[in-house]
Amino acid sequence: MASHSSAAVARTGNNPFLKTVAALSTLAGWCSAGMIVAAVAITCQMIVIRFVFNGSTVWQTEAVIYLIIAATLVGLPYVQRLRGHVNVDLVPISLAPRARFAMAILTSVLSIAIVSVMFWYGFEYWHFAWDRGWRSDTVWGVKLWIPYLALPIGFGLFLLQLIADLVALLLGIEKPFGLEIG
Amino acid sequence: MDPLTLGALVALVTILVLFSGVSVAIGLLIVSAGFLIIFDGMRSLELMPEILFGKLDNFALLSIPMFIIMGSSIASTRAGADLYEALERWLSRVPGGLVVSNLGACALFAAMSGSSPATCAAIGKMGIPEMRKRGYPDGVAAGSVAAGGTLGILIPPSVTMIVYGIATETSIGRLFLAGVFPGLMLVGLFMAWSLYSTWRSGEASRLSAGSYTWAERFEILPRVLPFLAIILGVLYAMYGGIATPSETAAVGALLCLLIAMIIYKLWHPAELWVVLRDSTKESVMILFIIAAAGVFSYMLSSLFITQSIAEWIGTFDVNRWVLMGAVNVFLLIAGFFLPPVAVILMAAPILLPIITSAGFDPIWFAVVLTINMEIGLISPPVGLNLYVINGIAPDIPLKTILLGSLPFVACMVIAIILLCLFPGIATWLPNAVMGTSI
Repeated sequence: MASHSSAAVARTGNNPFLKTVAALSTLAGWCSAGMIVAAVAITCQMIVIRFVFNGSTVWQTEAVIYLIIAATLVGLPYVQRLRGHVNVDLVPISLAPRARFAMAILTSVLSIAIVSVMFWYGFEYWHFAWDRGWRSDTVWGVKLWIPYLALPIGFGLFLLQLIADLVALLLGIEKPFGLEIG
Repeated sequence: MDPLTLGALVALVTILVLFSGVSVAIGLLIVSAGFLIIFDGMRSLELMPEILFGKLDNFALLSIPMFIIMGSSIASTRAGADLYEALERWLSRVPGGLVVSNLGACALFAAMSGSSPATCAAIGKMGIPEMRKRGYPDGVAAGSVAAGGTLGILIPPSVTMIVYGIATETSIGRLFLAGVFPGLMLVGLFMAWSLYSTWRSGEASRLSAGSYTWAERFEILPRVLPFLAIILGVLYAMYGGIATPSETAAVGALLCLLIAMIIYKLWHPAELWVVLRDSTKESVMILFIIAAAGVFSYMLSSLFITQSIAEWIGTFDVNRWVLMGAVNVFLLIAGFFLPPVAVILMAAPILLPIITSAGFDPIWFAVVLTINMEIGLISPPVGLNLYVINGIAPDIPLKTILLGSLPFVACMVIAIILLCLFPGIATWLPNAVMGTSI
């Protein structure tokens, strides 16, 4: 079924690497949740300024957009750790254990490959913005390397969590696709 | 390779990749990267993070986490049970009042929480045992809650509709309004079937309702009205042109959290963190699929696939209703396997040009698409709601739940047919409130 996998949280066993990555992902999750809360607060502040004090707002809309983007990207590793990225596990469920294990390795390696690409070119994109001092073409004119920083950080930590998941799978700490049934 | 063959190849590869069990968003990125490398060269990979970032660079997306926070703070309280009880007390004299109040509570709670599984769990926990105790057949008890739970993606405020609005650049305000009457129509059809099948089972004579005093009826209102008032307030502020959906949703999220804290005493940091964590998890998951689907649709259009498919369909001299029938079958099948948000994001950019060039209203189509997705929620193999019901009422066999849900699937199909015959059911309200110009 296309749902959150049955395992609620990625398992770490007693492995120090897995535990460190899990802690980092959780920290990223707190940051992500914090940014969503900040977006709520800023939006409410913006509404108060506009409708109560009849003032005009300069930076709020843009800041909220960047906060939501950052919350999304930085939240990726945490949601991966919570097994919150939906998938279709109909085929893996119906596979025999060995085939399922092979499938889990394959999807894991593919995920790591694509997230590496996103991390690498995300880093380059951020670096361009930093090098050339890009600014957004709005009144606020924020330095764009700040919001773009979410790309390398988010995908970097996501990559780390995906590698940890592969390691857990290879060490037998985590079941393929988190499925308990054999 | 001509774009059409390429399109077929992309479709095939996408299906294979998604069925491998990789997460939906990552799968879309993998397929996009693969085809971009082969047909546009390695350099096109450089653009992927930029496109992904650009797809998220949209103020309207704020409304997604905001509506999710509203929903999960409501879902974390006893509001579902209170709502159910309130309707039960108020409708106790109506014949078959229990199933009517169950479906009503499902519709209201689904609209407020925006979550199908949460609705099934919240209403079903109280409603299913109560209905069985009073002599309703198991299938009706389970099926009505499973089907009632799906209404959340149709009745506003609906995250699914927001995603459709963002994917197709149609007005979220109009989409919300378009869902109102079809939602009520579905509730009506569900109620009609539940009452009919209960009556037919010969148990109707035993269906006595509890009786309540007026004091009991009024006593419960203060606990259910605040959330309803917020939802109505949010919708009013949107249509009064006071603020954008994102802004009103942010205020709504704050108010719902405050009410959950004050009325339902949800003030312990650990409990608040659960609400926030679940909202973050759900929001990040949906926003990442939106971003990845953005990269996917960039790939489709840069390889001229989107354009060619629309042109190709145009050369067919098929009746537009045959076309609509084919689109429905496609959506139905996709909905059997994929969550609604993923189907909308992948299918909308391809289907919308086809739909509009055949002369269909995109707002009306959103409603038809959403009902298709509702069917997917109560049909195997995915049918999330069926498993939730199975979890809260383990002694009803999954087969009974499934068979009990089937008539409700039929109700949804009837609703789609009615919408095709009378498109005004969906389009009248948005046009009346917001004018006919798009």
